[in-house]
Amino acid sequence: MNGNRERQEGDDRERRRIKSTAAMRDLMLKYYMEAKAAEGTEKKIAWITSGGPVEPLICFDVIPVYPENHGAMCGAAHMNVELCEVAEGMGFSRDLCSYARGDIGSAVTKGGPIGGLPRPDFLVCCNNICNTVLKWYEELSRFFGVPLYIYDTPFVRGPLPDHTRDFAVRQMEEYIAFLERMTGKEFDEHRFLDVAVKSFAAISLWAQILSCNTARPAPMTCFDAFILMAPIVTLRGTQEVVDFYEGLLREMRQRVEEGIGILPAERRRLLWDNIPIWYEMRNLGRLFMELETCLVADTYTNAWTFEGVDPERPLQSMAEAYTEVYLNINLERMSDRQVSLAEKFQVDGMVMHSNRSCKPYSLGQYDLAREFTRRTGLPVLIIEADHTDSRWYHRTEVEGRIRDFVENLL
Amino acid sequence: MEEELVNQCVRLWEEPLSHMARIREQGGRPVAYFCSYAPEEILHAAGLTPVRLLGSMRTITHADAHLQAYCCSVARTDLDMALAGELSFLEGAVFVQTCDTMMRLSDIWRRNTGFPFHGDLVLPVRMGEEISLPFMVREVGRFRRQVEEYLGSRLEDEALWESIRVYNRNRALAEEVYRLRSENPGLVDGLSAAAVLTAGFWMRKEEHNALLERFLEAAREGVPEGEPAAVQLLVTGSVCTTPDLYRLLRELGADVVDDDLCSGHRYFDCPVEDEGSPEEALAARLWRRVNCPSKHQSLEDRATRLVTQVKESGAEGVIFYLQSFCEPHLFDVPYLKRKLQEEAGVPSLVLETELQSFSRGQLRTRLQAFIETIAGV
Ligand code: SF4
Ligand code: SF4
Repeated sequence: MNGNRERQEGDDRERRRIKSTAAMRDLMLKYYMEAKAAEGTEKKIAWITSGGPVEPLICFDVIPVYPENHGAMCGAAHMNVELCEVAEGMGFSRDLCSYARGDIGSAVTKGGPIGGLPRPDFLVCCNNICNTVLKWYEELSRFFGVPLYIYDTPFVRGPLPDHTRDFAVRQMEEYIAFLERMTGKEFDEHRFLDVAVKSFAAISLWAQILSCNTARPAPMTCFDAFILMAPIVTLRGTQEVVDFYEGLLREMRQRVEEGIGILPAERRRLLWDNIPIWYEMRNLGRLFMELETCLVADTYTNAWTFEGVDPERPLQSMAEAYTEVYLNINLERMSDRQVSLAEKFQVDGMVMHSNRSCKPYSLGQYDLAREFTRRTGLPVLIIEADHTDSRWYHRTEVEGRIRDFVENLL
Repeated sequence: MEEELVNQCVRLWEEPLSHMARIREQGGRPVAYFCSYAPEEILHAAGLTPVRLLGSMRTITHADAHLQAYCCSVARTDLDMALAGELSFLEGAVFVQTCDTMMRLSDIWRRNTGFPFHGDLVLPVRMGEEISLPFMVREVGRFRRQVEEYLGSRLEDEALWESIRVYNRNRALAEEVYRLRSENPGLVDGLSAAAVLTAGFWMRKEEHNALLERFLEAAREGVPEGEPAAVQLLVTGSVCTTPDLYRLLRELGADVVDDDLCSGHRYFDCPVEDEGSPEEALAARLWRRVNCPSKHQSLEDRATRLVTQVKESGAEGVIFYLQSFCEPHLFDVPYLKRKLQEEAGVPSLVLETELQSFSRGQLRTRLQAFIETIAGV
């Protein structure tokens, strides 16, 4: 009897498991191995911020490397705190962004699950996610003694002003010229168009994948999306990524058709705000499963679904899209996006991660929370943590508050 | 005369709110700003009186509902005063995009306070590079139109040029005070120089110019009172909310010979040049003036400047006077400390403060130890 039930449970778990995850692991492993192998060869390596324009890099055959993605990996492997401590030992305040601290620590010690990132030939910093990356990349540029390109995206209040658009477009041109200098290659417009088309294709596939979660039960949680988004962050613009997301979309559609949810039971649906708590993904995943609550959408992975990119005018529309990302707009526009996600995914409430060392994402959350409740009538829970510095996390307290919140929904 | 003037300024520094309220009572129209990048000349030309909020030492009661505790205390205490109704004399506020905190605070402030005017100036981070100047010029122009819309009338170029002249005069006078101090520390001490400059944040600049002229005249005629302090220091950081640091240093036999503060030397750096339209001229100044750490000019600019300042002023040590959680400033600390040691051969001390839990005692202990090392006691 017992054995039978266990087998059934095992089968059920196997049925619910997202199969494409394996393909993604392979893709990312291959990517990191290639990037590491390129160190010290003719191939150029650039470190770039997660919100930065990567398509031009791909077009010039430069290998893009993302310290934030690496930071997430170090966080999930419970290795970021020791890296942060290295930076703190160098005099960096423990209140600075923990991605930045961990990355500086890893650059110095080559620490972390993959023995650090390959040395960059140059750096690309786009401040559309925060001002922190400017200071972080300045430090990297001094540390490695390599050039830094700053793609400057002034904050957007209300509709995108013409002068901001012009500035962004001019910098796209300048960025291309910078890459010509760095690589000694000439800009190939056809190639660029091809990369842009593939990038937009990947982005639109990603948007469709996330949309599958409007189904009940939801075929994945946003914790899965956080992991499955790695290729879109790092390699959009390549054929492999398009192929991968086509496969993932097929799988998601099939799951929806067959009614396969990611959780054994889904009673509640919630929206997540802010970067994941990388070192706690497993525990939180278990907790939400036990509470039969699915985190069906989030503001973070949806940041990669920008609309309106136009293959007819790739440079311009790209410049616009990069300037108007989620973290570079005013609170009212952020609130609009939260509310529309809530409506689209039919959630019962929102969980906000008040992220101690990420100010652009976290300051304003209290107002956004009230606004969300006012506009949707739905409750909001705010939990305190940090994306990769677990020293600030109080598990018992946070889990207790999540339980209370979910039990009081309805 | 000089001493009385300085004392008045120190009192103002300690109690700016009542003074700002008086501006209103006397028919003035105070508009708050926070950052040294605020285009004050435009407000001034519009008949508004720019007044600066530097945070205040207080217990937070209202702002915690809007800002997390991991946000700098300048933002938290300023918002707290506004929400508590203590700034009701303001006609509005102007926010400039510098750090992530200010970028979000603008929205939070606008949504939760009811002042008639709310201005935003968006800045690029790439300063001093040809590519960002056209953006700056158009953004300053947009700001001018925002003020004009609020006034319901056009701001004439002539009025703007007149305000630019008043502000340039102010910068030149402030420069003069600082020069006198570093050349003759026995004549003008750190507290006096800082106080007469700071007082200008809470009055029309015409009035402040007259004050600085009076001060300079008296100071030049004065005779050095005894020996200058034994240990000369330079202070770098964001804003100096209270005169406490200067007083403490004086008590401990040290003095501030120069600074690199948003509320000090960085505030009046570089005049507006007579080039093109008023908005072109104003934009160009903001774009070329000394960099704030939230902006980028080159990788070396801040260190080079700081090292030069230390050498020229003869400072024997540097104090980093910072707000906890202030990313732009805290990021630069390890690099600047290293450069100061290597290239200027001076030690430095990092002081992080939080206004809602300001501890004079702690500050004193740390300063004392630092000064003793320098003095070789
Ligand atoms: S401050 Fe926030 S947005 Fe910026 S790098 Fe850190 S985690 Fe990312
Ligand atoms: S620059 Fe620093 S002190 Fe000033 S508002 Fe920003 S975080 Fe606060």
